[in-house]
Amino acid sequence: MKGRIRRSLVRIYAMAAKEGRHIVRDPRTLYMSLGMPVLLLFLFGYGVAFDIDRIPLAVVDQDRTESSRALVHALTASRELVSVGELPDPAAVLGAFRQERAVAALVVDEGYERALLAREVVPVQLLVDGADALVANQLLAKADALVRAESQRLASAEVGETTPPVRVKVWTRYNPDGRSAFYMVPGLAAYLLAITAVLLTALTIAGEWERGSMEQLFASPIGRLEIVLGKLLPYLGLGLLEFLLVVAFGMIAFDLPMRGSGFALALLGLVFLLGMLGQGLLVSVIAKNQTVATQAGTMSSLLPSLLLSGMIFPIENMPVVLQHFSRVIPARYLVHGLRGVLLKGNGLDVLWPDLLALAVFALVVIGLATARFQRRLA
Amino acid sequence: MELHPERGEAVREADAAPALSARGLSRRFGAVTALDGLTFEVARGELYGLVGPDGAGKTTAIRALAGLIRLDGGEARVLGLAADDHAVRERVGLMPQQFSLYRDLSVGENLRFFSRVFVLPREVYRRRAERLLEITRLGPFLDRRADALSGGMYKKLALACALLHEPEVLLLDEPTNGVDPVSRRELWALLHEFVHGGMTVLVSTPYMDEAERCGRVGLMNRGRLLLEGAPPALIAGFRDEAYEVRGGERDRVEAELARTASVRAASPAGERLRIVVARGAAPELARSLAPLGATLAPVTPDFEDLFLSRIREEDA
Ligand SMILES: Nc1ncnc2c1ncn2[C@@H]1O[C@H](COP(=O)(O)OP(=O)(O)OP(=O)(O)O)[C@@H](O)[C@H]1O
Ligand SMILES: [Mg+2]
Repeated sequence: MKGRIRRSLVRIYAMAAKEGRHIVRDPRTLYMSLGMPVLLLFLFGYGVAFDIDRIPLAVVDQDRTESSRALVHALTASRELVSVGELPDPAAVLGAFRQERAVAALVVDEGYERALLAREVVPVQLLVDGADALVANQLLAKADALVRAESQRLASAEVGETTPPVRVKVWTRYNPDGRSAFYMVPGLAAYLLAITAVLLTALTIAGEWERGSMEQLFASPIGRLEIVLGKLLPYLGLGLLEFLLVVAFGMIAFDLPMRGSGFALALLGLVFLLGMLGQGLLVSVIAKNQTVATQAGTMSSLLPSLLLSGMIFPIENMPVVLQHFSRVIPARYLVHGLRGVLLKGNGLDVLWPDLLALAVFALVVIGLATARFQRRLA
Repeated sequence: MELHPERGEAVREADAAPALSARGLSRRFGAVTALDGLTFEVARGELYGLVGPDGAGKTTAIRALAGLIRLDGGEARVLGLAADDHAVRERVGLMPQQFSLYRDLSVGENLRFFSRVFVLPREVYRRRAERLLEITRLGPFLDRRADALSGGMYKKLALACALLHEPEVLLLDEPTNGVDPVSRRELWALLHEFVHGGMTVLVSTPYMDEAERCGRVGLMNRGRLLLEGAPPALIAGFRDEAYEVRGGERDRVEAELARTASVRAASPAGERLRIVVARGAAPELARSLAPLGATLAPVTPDFEDLFLSRIREEDA
């Protein structure tokens, strides 16, 4: 038994060392995994505007009067903001942001109605989760318009009042500058990692078929899982390098903060990569030639990672069908996890559902790839 | 002191089994029947040649014996075990027909890779690689990439890779295709050496003349064995006669030959035509060729004559 495991490890090592040589000798692989992502990140690192609605809003109503309820109603009536419930006090808002029950919170201080009746200018606070810069920016514009309208209504109800009585004071948490690069870079990093990882491995098994070396391999005692694992290892190393490079580049070029731990970041990248590399293997096990594998690999990673990961379009705004579909797209969990680690400093306690989802995906695709990998030439 | 008598029997049975056994192998690829009930056996320590024209099914047969393809019917066994049994792989060496090593790896790196796949200890690898590089004379090219080797050198490297684990059975698919005559002779000399050492070798070739170098040959056509036996016995049993056609206008002579039923095969031999004629039919053919200015000269039949006439007979 021990001898069998040792022999198995030797064969996996043989495969990994050989694959490592292919990588080092093929400039295209190195460019695709290290050069291209940085280049693309640089080119695409600037935000684009997107429309959003149904933003979850938490309410901290410490006034609890007719007037304060009217204000909340005015904000949520248009459905652009949706109330997700009341919080007891402003201190609970950060918790809600962290757990992502809300991306915005309206805080109405005690004495709101009294001040209104006394015809004073009343400040209310709108707290916005700035980690999502696109959402944050639009939210600010919308909230401003809504409060202004409510304010006008109040003013015109009173006789001859000209100063709008309610003024919004905005606090943006996590991303005080509202920089969209903060929002885009983790998404882009996830996206680039997704497509390159799938392509890297999609080419390798298909390559063995095309070059004819599969015949020699199958005639030898090397097992299918040994081939799969041996091929995964060097690309995992390369992928991790790519991941770190992209994140480091994001920090240097876009002042991306790194508020969480490096361990959480590396773990997230590792589990994600395993899944994407496994997906590439699955594609190439089925495709058997490099052209088809490239196309299938691109299609299966590029579009879903771009459109369904929440990188550009917030998942909460998608049609329900697509929201469900996005659950099987690993990039979704990486985008989400990365934003958490980089921008909010989330640790494993918050990250674990993302990690778990990624781990399940990795296990399933690697298992499928091995099962579908037939030890037959024809 | 046999603790597992039934298992002991199975082992003895496996030991007594032929090195290779193909029983009624069949395999279709769409409309093409690559193997059509192919049956033959190779005894231990035998050098068996599978000879046949392009598309005869030689590669498919060898792949079946290496456990690499699905069969529609029949059974392929190696050393008494099913061909796709994991235990067989440590004891069989395969040299595929097509390029199957890693082009971007050097000679040494390819060897090292296969030695690791077979989990050879380092010292064992070093000793065997040294010997294999010596007999294949690839030593000076240790650092050359596989895709930069000549056809003959590549074949020798593939052979070396297939021999590293010292297999009991060696399967070689057209090892001499694209190899110069000198290397070809060397390769055959090596095969004879291996067989003397007790190895079983199955080798396929499209070159009829190479059949003579085998202990036993099987002539394959359209996925079946047409003829099988030791080369001298096969020649001795040849029923037809071989002639060379001299003189006459080539086109008209060929047309006349094609018209004559007793002519089993005709193939160009330099300036002349070499033909196989049914026994006793030569005088009549000579009479019909005379007006064209062509004459017949008897030659000693060889394997090519034998095989060509049998294949034509079969195809007709
Ligand atoms: N994987 C495959 N898919 C489809 N057809 C195949 C496949 N392998 C073999 N064939 C067909 O089966 C027939 C036998 O092929 P095979 O390669 O076994 O012949 P061969 O004797 O090795 O010929 P050659 O001397 O050209 O190598 C051919 O018609 C070939 O086209
Ligand atoms: Mg062939």
